[in-house]
Amino acid sequence: MSDTPHSSPMDLAAAYALGALDADDARTFEAYLASSPEAQREVAAFREVAALLAAGADAPAPGAELRARVLRSRPGTAAPQAASRVSAAARPRRSPWAVAVLASGMAAALFLAFALGRSRDTLRQELAARDSTLGELAARLRGREATLNAILEPGVRIYELTSSGDPKPGAQLFVDRARGVAILHAFRLKQAPAGRAYQLWFIKDGKPVPSLTFNADTTGHAMLQQVPFPAGGVISAAAVTEEPATGSLQPTTPILLVAPLPAS
Amino acid sequence: MSSTFSASPAGSSDRELMTRAAGGEEAAVGRLYDRYARVLHAVAYRIVGQRADAEEVVAETFAQAWRDAARFEEARGSVPAWLTMIARSRALDLTRARVRRDRATTSAGSEPGPGPAMGTWRSDPGEAVDADERQRKVREALAGLSAAQREAVELAFYEGLSQSEIALRLDEPLGTVKTRVRSAMQKLRDSLSPYFFERAE
Repeated sequence: MSDTPHSSPMDLAAAYALGALDADDARTFEAYLASSPEAQREVAAFREVAALLAAGADAPAPGAELRARVLRSRPGTAAPQAASRVSAAARPRRSPWAVAVLASGMAAALFLAFALGRSRDTLRQELAARDSTLGELAARLRGREATLNAILEPGVRIYELTSSGDPKPGAQLFVDRARGVAILHAFRLKQAPAGRAYQLWFIKDGKPVPSLTFNADTTGHAMLQQVPFPAGGVISAAAVTEEPATGSLQPTTPILLVAPLPAS
Repeated sequence: MSSTFSASPAGSSDRELMTRAAGGEEAAVGRLYDRYARVLHAVAYRIVGQRADAEEVVAETFAQAWRDAARFEEARGSVPAWLTMIARSRALDLTRARVRRDRATTSAGSEPGPGPAMGTWRSDPGEAVDADERQRKVREALAGLSAAQREAVELAFYEGLSQSEIALRLDEPLGTVKTRVRSAMQKLRDSLSPYFFERAE
């Protein structure tokens, strides 16, 4: 469809901005547009008009969840929970402490970056205070890293210990049979009363063999590292009971947590 | 989850926000959303007619904006103008896909504004005053057009019809339609240029 006679390409700017040009006219105009700053200005101005048409439109407001959704899908955000798809043998769940420590370290660093309008002295003082906090955090991070590295060794198997109780305590046992060492991570464990502790047991050839004692912290977590994994015999299960703080040779209370440890 | 600290001073330009948002900065994404999501939702809603679909269009619009941000930086014009055209394209795509599927015709769309009352969603009281006034001015400007001019503009913008298609739809000569679109847009530009989101360069 050809344009009416005697009209200039500029006449097409408004329709172009509105998205109303037929395909042929659009192609012609775009060729012209590429070389004409004046035409570009015209189109830009008419696009502003189109944006205002949108602003004048009557419509219900979008729901509040849309904002969260748009924020979630901004560039650079990783897909949530992608890591959990990987098989448990290769990628155990990350310790919640490691995440919290990393987050607080980052928050501290970012706060420093945005301390605008503060005096130099104030900044220096704050920096010194943050330094010591960061130092502690760094030390803890190194410890966590070591734990994580131990967990992430190839050949480490993970076992879930389960229980009944309310709230249900839980635990994971990371076993490196090749190195003969294990790590126990327990959570939702009430702190053992004074003079008492939790004790880990391995069931070897059908009989409980005592392992290390431990207690939970105020958040209900316990982390037991460098646990010797018994050599020889058939280790068929791991269990946790509550015992005197010095430990027992035989369990004296009912099993709190237990997991079968299939051989391979 | 809102940012606990905002590095952006009040009144960051849209272009600056776009660059930062395209780089993944949550605060910038949030600011752009607060400024323009409502407008984008309104144009999407006018075109697709349902809130769920309109919200989908808004989400897609922002997603495309981040992908194409480099292209925007080279172009003239304001961020909302650019976003509006993206939203309009995505909304039109959605209705066309729906039409293909359902074999139902879209509404004639010649009456301004569907039934539902305006939402009272406000994210920034200062911007709310501007938004209200802007909307009033736009409606006044539209009322200043003839019915035929208004119809031509709305068919083009909200239904994505080309001038030939409008001429067919209204059973009018193509030349008449072209003149109408041109005069309508010029009139709107004259009365609305003080209320542009941002003066284009």
